[in-house]
Amino acid sequence: MKLELMKVIVKSVSWGDRTEILKDGTLKVNKKELLEHVSDEENLKSIDAEIALPGESVRITPVKDAIQPRYKVEGGGQVFPGMVSDVESVGEGKTIVLEGAAVITCGRIVGFQEGIVDMSGKGAEYTPFSKTCNVVLVFEPKEGIEVYAYEKACRLAGLKAAMYLAKCVHEAGVTPDKTETFEIPPFARSMKEFPGLPKVAYLYMLQTQGLLHDTYVYGVDAKRILPTIIHPNETMDGAIVSGNCVSACDKNSTYVHQNNPVIRSLYERHGKDINFVGVIITNENVTLADKRRSSSFAVKIAKMFGVDGVVISEEGFGNPDADLIMNCRRAEKAGVKTVLITDEYAGRDGASQSLADAAQEADAVVTAGNANMIIDLSPMEKVIGFTEYVNVIAGGFDGSLKPDGSIEVELQAITGATCELGFNKLGAETW
Amino acid sequence: MVKAIEATGIAVVHICTIVPISQTVGANRIVPAVAIPHPLGDPTKSHEEEKMIRRAILEKALEALKTPITEQTVFN
Repeated sequence: MKLELMKVIVKSVSWGDRTEILKDGTLKVNKKELLEHVSDEENLKSIDAEIALPGESVRITPVKDAIQPRYKVEGGGQVFPGMVSDVESVGEGKTIVLEGAAVITCGRIVGFQEGIVDMSGKGAEYTPFSKTCNVVLVFEPKEGIEVYAYEKACRLAGLKAAMYLAKCVHEAGVTPDKTETFEIPPFARSMKEFPGLPKVAYLYMLQTQGLLHDTYVYGVDAKRILPTIIHPNETMDGAIVSGNCVSACDKNSTYVHQNNPVIRSLYERHGKDINFVGVIITNENVTLADKRRSSSFAVKIAKMFGVDGVVISEEGFGNPDADLIMNCRRAEKAGVKTVLITDEYAGRDGASQSLADAAQEADAVVTAGNANMIIDLSPMEKVIGFTEYVNVIAGGFDGSLKPDGSIEVELQAITGATCELGFNKLGAETW
Repeated sequence: MVKAIEATGIAVVHICTIVPISQTVGANRIVPAVAIPHPLGDPTKSHEEEKMIRRAILEKALEALKTPITEQTVFN
């Protein structure tokens, strides 16, 4: 399967009469048309749209998801299959990407695990979405709406907006700034390629605890899947979509699924020091039987691949630590080497146990940082959304929001700060 | 908490959904629970059935409490 990402570099965003990209890299957006496109009168009382650019004195909260605008112009299916497009498989052909732009969904809180994105100041250093030119959708739910319906309405509006922006840019006529090609051959060939190089698969854990902690694959609630194989290119076309209210710091936003750095790195090293043979997706469910079934099944797929090693990434913390360790232990026992990617909840002083579970086999672990670390955020000139929720979102506490608008919170509350796919700057070294 | 209470000489049964974590942290008497968001119930069942589930887990826990053990034991 071969996918070409045709990247259009977005350097700024502003409102205009027509949604298109200008020669200087400014994404013009027809706000009225955008809002009409994403309107959902059945579930939402209102949707507004705002622009937030890097360096501005702007705070966005509570942030639900971030999505990169993409649109398929060649090949089967369309972006975000099973969500806002048909269910046909994706991952082949050509896809327009608005690189440097993001749609951020924000609005009255759905669940308590939503985040903060600051476009400047100290908080901006910790979130990847302070560097993107953001079109922010701000939602108000209809009164009396059930929380699951509200979450779904926010999720779909974000995806529709992202697709709309890239589609309009394509239809207005655009020459991509650069094209990146991603291709790995069918198994029959890939297994024979690069003799001597270790075969490596990626075991991609998806947050599926339920109670608003959900991830969707082709529109299927991933808590209901058995672990399965997915082509890495499918993730780039939005086959995996976030619907979760996991702690903001380590939820995998849809943007991060579209730009998974683990997949990118495995591709970069493919044929150099590893043979990247494929991706296995698995879930993080809430009963022991589910955890054992998924872990056993995922490792079985790895064994069927005959891989020498797997990279395992976690999403969330606590409960999924058990899945992570179970996957690690089973794979190592099956003779498959593992590297784990996680983050830590080691207390504000970093001295507590980092994960809820541990195993001797987990001897190669990459951390994305300590989510309990306290950070002080200065007041911002403009707030998009609603700061009154800061005291109750995960990572916040009674008194987090100060009268002057400054905020004292754990890093946990910053969107993407300790991303377990490595889409962040934090890390650690063993000396 | 399980370990802190046991350190004072009082036997403890840990009712816990994710048994491997209980084993890792060092609980000695472990009784499996239903699911993380509802350890002693099941919202898909009727209230009467839930009461039966709760009673069965509690009775198992009481049985575990009076059972002499020499190593970490999971009471399935």
